[in-house]
Amino acid sequence: MIRPYYAVIADSFHAALSSRILWIAFVAIWIFLAALAPIGYHEDYTTTFRWFDLDNGTQMKAMLARGLVDPKESETALGRIAKTFPDDIKRKLRQVAEGEDVRIDKDALADSLNDSMDDESWYDAEAWRSTVRLRELRELDELADDKITQPERRRRARLRIEAALPGVFTAQSARSITLSYAGFDFPAFFLIGKEQFVSLINQFVVPIMMDWLLGFALIFLGILVTASIIPDMLQPGSLHLLLSKPISRTMLLLSKFIGGCAFIFLCVCQLVIGLWLIAGFRLDIWNPRVLWCIPVAVFLFAVFFSVSLLAGLRWRSPILSIGVTCMFGAFVLVIGFIGGYFDGLVRGPDRIARLAFDSTDIVIATRGGELKYFDESSNAWEDVIEADFRQRDLIVPPIRIAEDKIATAKIRNGRFNLYGSGSLDLLVLDGTDNWSPHPGLRLPNGTRRLFNINGMLVALNNAGLMATTVSKAVSESGVDEVGKFGSAGDGPTRDRLNEDGAGDNEGVDEADENKTLAVEKIGVTAWISDLIRMQGGETEEFRSILPAGVTLTEPLRAAVAGDTGSLVLYSRGRLMRLELPKTDGASMETSAVPAVIAADLLMEDTTAARTTLAASDRSVLLSRAESPVKWLDSTDLATLVEFPTPGDQSIVSAVGLGDSDRFAILTTDGQVHIASRDGDDVTVRLLDQTEVTAIEYDAPNRCLAIAHHIDSIDWVKIDDGGAEDLMVTRTIRPSVSSWRSVDRYLITPLRTMTPQTGELSQTVAALISGESSFVIGGGSSEEQEVIQLKIARPVISCSLFIVVMLTLACISFARHDY
Amino acid sequence: MQPPIVDVQKLQKVYRSFSLTGRRRIEAVRGVSLQAFPGEVFGLLGPNGAGKTTLIKMLLGVVKPSGGTAKLFDQPIGSTAARSRVGYLPESLRVDRHHTARSALRYYGRMSGMSSAEIHSRSNELLKLVGLEGRDRESVRRFSKGMYQRLGLAQALLHDPDLLVLDEPTDGLDPVGRNEVRKVIDRLRNSGKTIFLNSHILQEVELVCSRVAILAKGEIKAIGRLDELSHRDEQQLVVEVLADPPESGFAEDRDLGDVVPDWQAIFGDQLNDAIESIQVGGVHRLTIGVDDQEQINWIIDTLRQSNQSICRLQVRRESLEETFMRLVGNDLPGENDLPREPEAAE
Repeated sequence: MIRPYYAVIADSFHAALSSRILWIAFVAIWIFLAALAPIGYHEDYTTTFRWFDLDNGTQMKAMLARGLVDPKESETALGRIAKTFPDDIKRKLRQVAEGEDVRIDKDALADSLNDSMDDESWYDAEAWRSTVRLRELRELDELADDKITQPERRRRARLRIEAALPGVFTAQSARSITLSYAGFDFPAFFLIGKEQFVSLINQFVVPIMMDWLLGFALIFLGILVTASIIPDMLQPGSLHLLLSKPISRTMLLLSKFIGGCAFIFLCVCQLVIGLWLIAGFRLDIWNPRVLWCIPVAVFLFAVFFSVSLLAGLRWRSPILSIGVTCMFGAFVLVIGFIGGYFDGLVRGPDRIARLAFDSTDIVIATRGGELKYFDESSNAWEDVIEADFRQRDLIVPPIRIAEDKIATAKIRNGRFNLYGSGSLDLLVLDGTDNWSPHPGLRLPNGTRRLFNINGMLVALNNAGLMATTVSKAVSESGVDEVGKFGSAGDGPTRDRLNEDGAGDNEGVDEADENKTLAVEKIGVTAWISDLIRMQGGETEEFRSILPAGVTLTEPLRAAVAGDTGSLVLYSRGRLMRLELPKTDGASMETSAVPAVIAADLLMEDTTAARTTLAASDRSVLLSRAESPVKWLDSTDLATLVEFPTPGDQSIVSAVGLGDSDRFAILTTDGQVHIASRDGDDVTVRLLDQTEVTAIEYDAPNRCLAIAHHIDSIDWVKIDDGGAEDLMVTRTIRPSVSSWRSVDRYLITPLRTMTPQTGELSQTVAALISGESSFVIGGGSSEEQEVIQLKIARPVISCSLFIVVMLTLACISFARHDY
Repeated sequence: MQPPIVDVQKLQKVYRSFSLTGRRRIEAVRGVSLQAFPGEVFGLLGPNGAGKTTLIKMLLGVVKPSGGTAKLFDQPIGSTAARSRVGYLPESLRVDRHHTARSALRYYGRMSGMSSAEIHSRSNELLKLVGLEGRDRESVRRFSKGMYQRLGLAQALLHDPDLLVLDEPTDGLDPVGRNEVRKVIDRLRNSGKTIFLNSHILQEVELVCSRVAILAKGEIKAIGRLDELSHRDEQQLVVEVLADPPESGFAEDRDLGDVVPDWQAIFGDQLNDAIESIQVGGVHRLTIGVDDQEQINWIIDTLRQSNQSICRLQVRRESLEETFMRLVGNDLPGENDLPREPEAAE
């Protein structure tokens, strides 16, 4: 019979409604909603350049300087744009062309570009014909002048400028959202389209509001109001009468607990429904999932109220209940903070991002910018290059280039700057000397990927594709010389690299650079070649092999097509298979033979959607966000089949599995799927590993290496049709370092036992957005960050905590003599 | 004889507490046995700290006994079946401030499992009965203590219980209110309800209770009808006889020492107890313990034979207060004897 308990719950609502604090809270909520109601937005074409649109100022300066001083560029699109800049900037650009280190404010460059959009006299259709025009620009170009609107005209002008300066600008949405308040536009606008705006609201704004408005302010208010419920009930004149009624003590207490949540329920309902209506009417975001905030907020409150309830039973004092609950909140906050600290500085940086193999040896690059190899004897990862967490260095994914030789590079501050700080040297790791690094050839600036294709070492950056021979790279590093750098003592040793490798290199580079400039400053040609190198163009040994007419634009992806000697390249809406020039093993010629476009596929749209590319001997896998995955023939890039992303997740990375015509796909939920094609059918099989951070195909061993749980690795046999297919054949379970031990044996148990209230905002984000994981970050895959929202963990930990607290409270209440 | 409604056998309650100074053990109720029968108004008397409230809490299932057994309506105390037939008026009723008298009755009615219709009809009736008619929509914040008591009585009666446990029901009421409560109790008794009354006001208990139990230091000192409790064999004869006529002035001015009769000489050795004699306004008041009517007759005959002029004569039995004082006088707690735990205060 639930009537008595229903009466207790209903009475709690009446009590809450009679509370003055509740009405004060109501009024505060109404004022807040009224203040928020005039907010609005409108969506426009993205036209205005902002400083952050300029992906790399150095590159832009170099490019514009070249356009200004190179006679060949005088009538090209680049030259025409360069001429539109004001005289003072042009003067500085000329200084740049002369090799001076001139600082030009990005804002000034952006403002000049914006000014040039008002008068398009710089435009010449012929000059722009040789540029790579996006589909949107082509469509706008086809519009007659009398039919184009002013916003469209400005948009067209922007796209023309972007076409003239390829690779300079960050890929931005074609549409921008501008927020307004009571009809007045905010000075700032969001360079995102409506869809991204909705994602932003759902994944970040609402969870933040949940954290601060619901998770902090209202919860605290709720605790203040409800702290007296239990002490009041325990007053003799009230309690003895209640206990004399034919009701269960446990149920009475639980009813009081549920009723205590009435206060927060009433407040949260108004706030969330108000926000939902405002988002719907004012921002056109009708997302009923926002209403999930109501139960989650009440659930969050229940965690704290369970503590307040137990304290109230024990001490019968509202003040003590509030005090104990606040202390508990502070404890949870501290544990959450410490947990976040360990996630960010201990666990996160140790996560494996890339793997390279040489026989049974393995070298990894971590998310924290470290390079390590696995030492079997100590069962631990040993540092090859250490990282300073403040610098946010980036390791170019290591690749095996020869026996006992792995090539990589360390881009100092690469996470913040496409070109990093200082120059970039190829590092050849020597397997015979515990993979000690040996700096060698100068890499093109901004190199993000290296490929070893048929004896050629190919460097890819956003400016082009440059190659040298592997033998040259190895010999220049001095690894195979008798007097190695390390032993000779006159070169950069690993210790130097470890301590401040980039700094040392910078000093060396500067001297080297000055020398180069001094020698080459004998004519315009020398300036130009130097400028080109600054932009990430050719270096002395790395010569461009990018076919003429190919311009690289983010999102940029490349994958080696097995042993075919081809490189599959994706550049914003264009997929190509490039046949690389043959090499005889010697140095590349000064004017290298460019690669040949063996197959070319233009996508129907040229959106800047996040893209994943993988290739095997026979097939290419292309996945773009919000689109089905394409399985293409690697020969002619014909689409063989399309299939949805496995598990409705976004794809983080994919690798081709040799000649098996299968692909391993890592999704944002940290799981690996093996996709196999049989005609028009694609079957996807989920592997057992969880919390996977990286996958790589270990071709010689015919295994898929799966990095998971921070720094563990499983090798899964790829033996199509064989008995051992997809069986784990080797594992690495390294010993953990001191801080990791603290994390494993102290912090993690503490976090497990403490209700993770802070993580409930992730549950909200997942519930509202409908996605449990997603990718954020820059264009290149190294800059991307996979966000896996913890949905179940906080709910389970909080539920368990509530159950324990209520059980203790019920036992105490049932057994105590009042 | 009807089976008892309240049947308590050797009920015990020991409070134990732990503190830095050590363990504390308080025996609040020590093997109490009592019975209350249908239609009875049973009074529970005792000084502070006697264990009355603890006993009532045990009957209501609020406190668990440490030993012994107790049943209400032949059901174990604390059982839902037993509690559903009990109406309880606590000593200091506390109603949440957001209630009116009517909403409070609705709330408590629901707690007793009543339907809305039942609550509505009973509320009208009871609000009228306890004198809160017309003030039923008023917030209890404005209620006086007397009004709270009336509301408490109404809620105790709401579900028409067979046993009413009233803890100080007239506390805070004015004389008129007390009278009304007494009338309500009389009416309930007449309608066959059993009432278990805990009160400090001895006169009230004398007026309404058919049987009482006197509790002191957790033990029953006496139990039974009021006339059974008073010592019948200790009845006293109070006789006032005129002193000698005054020769001059006021009697108070005279030296009476010389004229006080020698009562020992008059009565001889026939009386067991000593005779108390006091001079009050020209009369001698004799208080003599007597055993029976024959002895009373002999005393009167003896006084008349000795030429004493009897002006007033009264045979007096022991009052409830005297009985109470006689039984618990030595057990009244000193300041240091009072238990410190509030639960064990009585």
